[in-house]
Amino acid sequence: MKNKDIIITINNLSDISKLKELGINRFAFPLKGFCVGIPNTFLLEEIKENGYLYINRILDNEGIDNLRNVLDNLLNNIIGIIFDDLGIINLVKDKNIEKILYLSHFNTNSKSIKYYLEYVDNVIISTDITLDEIKYIIDNVNKPLCLFTYGYVGVMYSRRLLIDNYCKFYNKEYENPIKIHNDGNGFIVYENEYGTYFYHDKLFVGNVLLELPCKYYFFNSVFLNIEDIKNILEGNTKYLDISTGFLYKPTIYKLKGDENA
Amino acid sequence: MHELLAPAGDLERLKIALLYGADAVYVGGRDFSLRANAKNFSLEELDIATKFAHELKKKVYVTVNIVFHDDNLNNLDEYLNKLKEIGVDAVIVSDIVGVKKALSHNLEVILSTQASTLNYEAIKFWQNMGVNRVVLGREATREDIKKIKDITNISLECFIHGAMCTSISGKCVLSNYCTNRDSNRGGCAQICRWVFKKDNSPDFTFMSKDLNMVDYLEEMINLGINSFKVEGRMRSIYYIATVIMCYRKLIDGIINKTLTEKDKIYYAHILDRVANRDTCPQFFHKFPGVQESYFSDRVEVSNQDFLGIVLEYDAYNKLATIEQRNYFKVGDVVEFIGPNMETFTYKVTKIYNELNEEIKVARHPKMIVKLPNLDGVEKYAMMRIKVFDKESVL
Repeated sequence: MKNKDIIITINNLSDISKLKELGINRFAFPLKGFCVGIPNTFLLEEIKENGYLYINRILDNEGIDNLRNVLDNLLNNIIGIIFDDLGIINLVKDKNIEKILYLSHFNTNSKSIKYYLEYVDNVIISTDITLDEIKYIIDNVNKPLCLFTYGYVGVMYSRRLLIDNYCKFYNKEYENPIKIHNDGNGFIVYENEYGTYFYHDKLFVGNVLLELPCKYYFFNSVFLNIEDIKNILEGNTKYLDISTGFLYKPTIYKLKGDENA
Repeated sequence: MHELLAPAGDLERLKIALLYGADAVYVGGRDFSLRANAKNFSLEELDIATKFAHELKKKVYVTVNIVFHDDNLNNLDEYLNKLKEIGVDAVIVSDIVGVKKALSHNLEVILSTQASTLNYEAIKFWQNMGVNRVVLGREATREDIKKIKDITNISLECFIHGAMCTSISGKCVLSNYCTNRDSNRGGCAQICRWVFKKDNSPDFTFMSKDLNMVDYLEEMINLGINSFKVEGRMRSIYYIATVIMCYRKLIDGIINKTLTEKDKIYYAHILDRVANRDTCPQFFHKFPGVQESYFSDRVEVSNQDFLGIVLEYDAYNKLATIEQRNYFKVGDVVEFIGPNMETFTYKVTKIYNELNEEIKVARHPKMIVKLPNLDGVEKYAMMRIKVFDKESVL
């Protein structure tokens, strides 16, 4: 893998030249009005570089109609779209752009991924599975795939405005994002008008994933600055609170005794 | 068809739900179901359940709604084949592999709310695949529902009562991170009901109040929603009986145009009484805010209104055999509710134990007692504390 295979989300347009110096030239632009959990988003007309639109909202009817209008005005610099909502498949099926499906917590098995690849060009494999499960998927799907490799992982998405409600209830000055924790489990919480998004507060660093044969490696740069990005790519992460997620720690499907519970 | 759809965590709950007025029940098998802590149904029990429901001309839907890992797919085909043989009426699925495989077994597919479906294009995606019914995300507004129905005409299933996820369903893995249990494979530990610390600030909580759509049920019916779903496969038989009976009366009253405002208030009171948390309508009519959430520690209250269930009724001797569920004694004024009877008040004048000895108090859980001088009760009728007269709450 070289940095050219990384797709990175953009926080600031001014970062692009520095990212290019790092050898990264695939950029995902969070689209204003169609994202949650991301402080900096961009209007279509603000996006001048070649890149992907990044859309992680679950859309209501109004959202899907608005997006249809946006997609009708795409310029040639938009080479692809990364999205969560399955309704978008119908909107982009006739568009000559690369379609990458990022169902945040689905795409955890090879058969589902094969089925989705009948509709899109690529999928981002879930971060909720182990390294062995990822390897199995790559071996069995036998098509280009994308791996979430770096960044804060989204762990919960609510349509509600949870920070706003909290501040109103306690008559507190509004702050966003916030950090919360319970018994060693910490989360970064960010909201906008479309809902509230929780991130695990440990930065996911999946260097081992770079050894796997995938077409793209996804870097979610939210809450990271250009120096952090550079350090992560160079392996200088000692100052960061990092994690390998579930790569080596399978989640529990059934508790002992469930079979007869 | 305005289907009232009830949860059932086991065979007893299933029978109660159907007898008390549900048109259909949804249940989990021992595998592939999102309520890993519920007792759930073996294949033999699913067979019994389906036969029981079909004899009543009612339906059984089986949840196969985990998000599959490759290891979980090994026996899926065999399982779906068994469900087809049993004759279940549909499976509720969220993962595309489950949808495709269920359709290949000629099973009816209901797309689970876990699939986070809130727009008509997403519905069309699944509809084109062969899905005939979708459970909308609980975030759907009345405008969303109307437009989806108008454009797709798909069969819609919407929640009307019960607990709410704070998250969009299917978009939460907090349990994975906090407990290592996979929330999308049945391990949800309800982290949204935990209390979190925030430095130099009051504790941060984000739990939702429960859903209650009594006030908007008529509007939901008029929107063309096909199935009205009650949440709670792990709830008690008393809760299921009470909630289902209330919504049965409400739906029938709306359809038959016999429901009065007083009736509605009365059933709302009963539903409030049986709830263990505050309830409200949530997203249907307005965007939920502070009033639709809790901001303190857990707020559940246990309900001990349920006094017993009728196991047998001897009409000739007017004697009911009852399994006790909560303490009661001679002199108590109670109520009986049942699937095919009017609710009535009864004063406990005598209690007999299993040896037909007269006792004053039924104090032991599940003890068998007999109550005399009872007119018109039936098997599966329930005895509860008399909370209020219908007239007194109006």
